[in-house]
Amino acid sequence: MAGLSPSERRLQKELMSLMKEPPPGVEVDFDLAEQNLLHWIINMEGAAGTLYEGERFQLQFKFSNKYPFDSPEVTFVGNNIPVHPHIYSNGHICLSILTDDWSPALSVQSVCLSIVSMLSSCKEKQRPPDNAFYVKTCNKNPKKTKWWYHDDSV
Amino acid sequence: MGNCLKRSTTDDISLLRGSDSVRESSSEQLGPPNYQEPLPIQAASPVYHPSPSVTRSVAQLTEEEQVKIAKRIGLIQHLPTGLYDGCKKARECVICMVEFLVGDALRYLPCMHTYHMSCIDDWLMRSLTCPSCMEPVDAALLTSYETN
Repeated sequence: MAGLSPSERRLQKELMSLMKEPPPGVEVDFDLAEQNLLHWIINMEGAAGTLYEGERFQLQFKFSNKYPFDSPEVTFVGNNIPVHPHIYSNGHICLSILTDDWSPALSVQSVCLSIVSMLSSCKEKQRPPDNAFYVKTCNKNPKKTKWWYHDDSV
Repeated sequence: MGNCLKRSTTDDISLLRGSDSVRESSSEQLGPPNYQEPLPIQAASPVYHPSPSVTRSVAQLTEEEQVKIAKRIGLIQHLPTGLYDGCKKARECVICMVEFLVGDALRYLPCMHTYHMSCIDDWLMRSLTCPSCMEPVDAALLTSYETN
């Protein structure tokens, strides 16, 4: 672990713990993360008994050298973006812990669990009402979006 | 002696010329990007975070932000510190995810959560909240003064 920056040291620890005890339905692409600790791809499965059962998704995590003081940039990528009222069709996720409510005590694992639980509590698969406008006008980095968090039910 | 002096003056001139030409060429190449990349600013002067996602050098801070940060530094200094003595209640710093070692410098927040001093100070300079329970540190500090 010598020669790693503090953020890389912490990411290395998180990677090891996800390898040893992966949370259900969450699987990290270890080879990719080992190559570049600041860029992870996570494969996620829709939980059984939910609207997303049997679906597979890919989450991308990008970390800055200020992690964990700076929140990771988290988006859905690949060809299956979950249809959910808080997930835009370009993969951006409206979730307060990813920006305003981020804390350095949170981790990749806790972010993944939050997203799994956000998917699981969904009652009706639909895109956010402003999807078309947002996707056309937003910055590529979701952290640059001034999110309005107004609905905790899903 | 005379020799030394003479030599140093010629050296000085050549150095000045050298540095001038270096400066010119570097400003041509790096001029515009310097304003966008945070790294050169960081090297020149400390950076501050009026809120967690905002990074500014001292010169870029508004007066309001300067006051906010000065108050924050004052408050942080009032939070108790100590050295880890092997106590079993706190074992790991959740910020760096490294176990405490006897002799590590710690800081205790009013909510009783404990972190490495360097880790938590870095966070408190961005946000005066406990990373574990999200309790605002300033409010908790005031209540602890009132009750004591």
